[in-house]
Amino acid sequence: MRFALRLILPRIVLAALTLAAISVIIFTLVELLPGDAATRVLGRNATAENVEVWRKRFNLDRPPVTRYLLWARDFARGDWGVSLVSAQVASAGNPGGKTMRPVADLVLPRLKNTLILTLYVMAISIPASLFLGIVTAVFRERRFATWLSGLVLFGVSMPDYVIGVLMLLVFTVSLGWFPALALIDQATSVAEMVHMLTMPAVTLAIAVTGVSVRMMQGSLLQVLDSDYVRFATLKGLSKTRTLLVHALPNALGPAIRVTVLSLVWLIGGVVYVEVIFTFPGLGMLLLNSLKLLDTPVILAGTMLLSAFLILANLAADILAAVLNPKLRKQ
Amino acid sequence: MANQTPTFFIMTFVLVIHVIVALTGVWWAPYDPFAMLSGKPFDPPSWAHWFGTDNLGRDVFSRVVYGERFVLFPALMASGLAAVLGSAIGIILAYKRSWADLMGMRVVDLILCLPSLIVILIVLSVLGSNTVVMILVIAFFFTWIVVQTVRSAALSVVTEDFVTKATLRGESAWSVAFREILPNVASTVFVEFTLRTGYAVFFMGALSFLGYAAKPPTPEWGLMINEGRAVISAAPWMVLGPALALASLVVALGLFTEGLSETLGLTSQRQRAK
Repeated sequence: MRFALRLILPRIVLAALTLAAISVIIFTLVELLPGDAATRVLGRNATAENVEVWRKRFNLDRPPVTRYLLWARDFARGDWGVSLVSAQVASAGNPGGKTMRPVADLVLPRLKNTLILTLYVMAISIPASLFLGIVTAVFRERRFATWLSGLVLFGVSMPDYVIGVLMLLVFTVSLGWFPALALIDQATSVAEMVHMLTMPAVTLAIAVTGVSVRMMQGSLLQVLDSDYVRFATLKGLSKTRTLLVHALPNALGPAIRVTVLSLVWLIGGVVYVEVIFTFPGLGMLLLNSLKLLDTPVILAGTMLLSAFLILANLAADILAAVLNPKLRKQ
Repeated sequence: MANQTPTFFIMTFVLVIHVIVALTGVWWAPYDPFAMLSGKPFDPPSWAHWFGTDNLGRDVFSRVVYGERFVLFPALMASGLAAVLGSAIGIILAYKRSWADLMGMRVVDLILCLPSLIVILIVLSVLGSNTVVMILVIAFFFTWIVVQTVRSAALSVVTEDFVTKATLRGESAWSVAFREILPNVASTVFVEFTLRTGYAVFFMGALSFLGYAAKPPTPEWGLMINEGRAVISAAPWMVLGPALALASLVVALGLFTEGLSETLGLTSQRQRAK
């Protein structure tokens, strides 16, 4: 237990520090976007007195450092502010009629959708990369394994947005099997959701699987070339037994690490895929908010993505340490 | 090069064609890529228009040919800049191995934890999305990945005898870094350069696809894919031409790098910006 703490605690502290540093970078960048929150809400023809009210509201009358600290405090507490676009509507004309939308109300449903898509991608990519990784490593001398490896490499190299557009061309335009839009909402049933999400999920899975297969293959090849596997073979154990009992458990640590890290790859790809298939996820929300300069939404969304990246890296690090038999024995 | 696979040669060939198109395309493209109504709008591929025509009747093949230089040259500049800066920093960190190295590696970790696509989009919104800004921003992110790879390659070189000797001989740190260490990590740097070029093409295409970077009517492939997306069922060739061009360039760069690093006895480090 003490060992586990000594192993994990510093990593958690480092991850927290990283997140803090990243929040400073992101806050600074977003502050540099043209205009400020008050003028964005009120538009050009605002009265000076009105502007003053909104400047106070967004703490624009205080120095940037204070503003950052106030924002960070509120953000950590779960108060992510209000969407400026909704404030625009509320400030124009009837303040009573429209209410301002908290950022969390905008971001969380989108985050949920993106997570659903991510889970679907992993349901495809994890079994696929385990299978392909094992097959290409075990049968590495056979011709078909070489072809499979080549195919995998092809999948890694293809840009995800090109894969997505080509999928759209084949399966929607030519064959008509899947819908072009993946506009899911609360009313969408599970069956419909699977139908709508298959193309975006497969697009992402192709890219992600490629990466993890290659790492999986690498770690398994290393194990297969090790002395204890050779010894097991010389002892006369069957090929299957050697593979399942001796080789696989040792290659599993890296494999799990790879799987967690492939989540990181998803973050980039998910934005294009959401655009191509018009999927109401976090990536789309961020793109739209950036066009509208809705800074509180941009801040919250980017922070969530960064936190997700850091958590995935942290989990991969901890798993690697915990699953490494050499470290465990100390 | 003797034990290279046929794939490597095919990919090298594809790359050579891309470079030739980028250099000479403007002289032999059959139509003016900006001229509207070179043919009827939405004309499917034919002998007159190999890749068909787009919504404004512009020749898609000529646009793809012209577009090559808008894709390849900025990518080469970004990856070249990243390779130069990254290897300089990487070698210095490995050679100095002091607090600067520790700090440097923390910076690398930090930058690799940023969701780069979104951050780049924010930066482009702040500074205005033009080609120069795009090249610099992408080069910035790639530099740190190069630093990581080159530093670890250089670490195994700095302990060699000839480096120690050079240091004892009284050579300056500058001279040791660039006359003793650099030649020994040159192959790593070159592989990094080709690998990053592929990702730069990928990334710049993505930025144009998302409506940043290139602006209409530039025949940039990512932008063309995005423009064609809206009418994909009416004129799939509008997407197909630039998509195949982009895919063949990125895949060829990827497989070429793979073959190259195998020949040079390196295991390529595939790390992409997120």
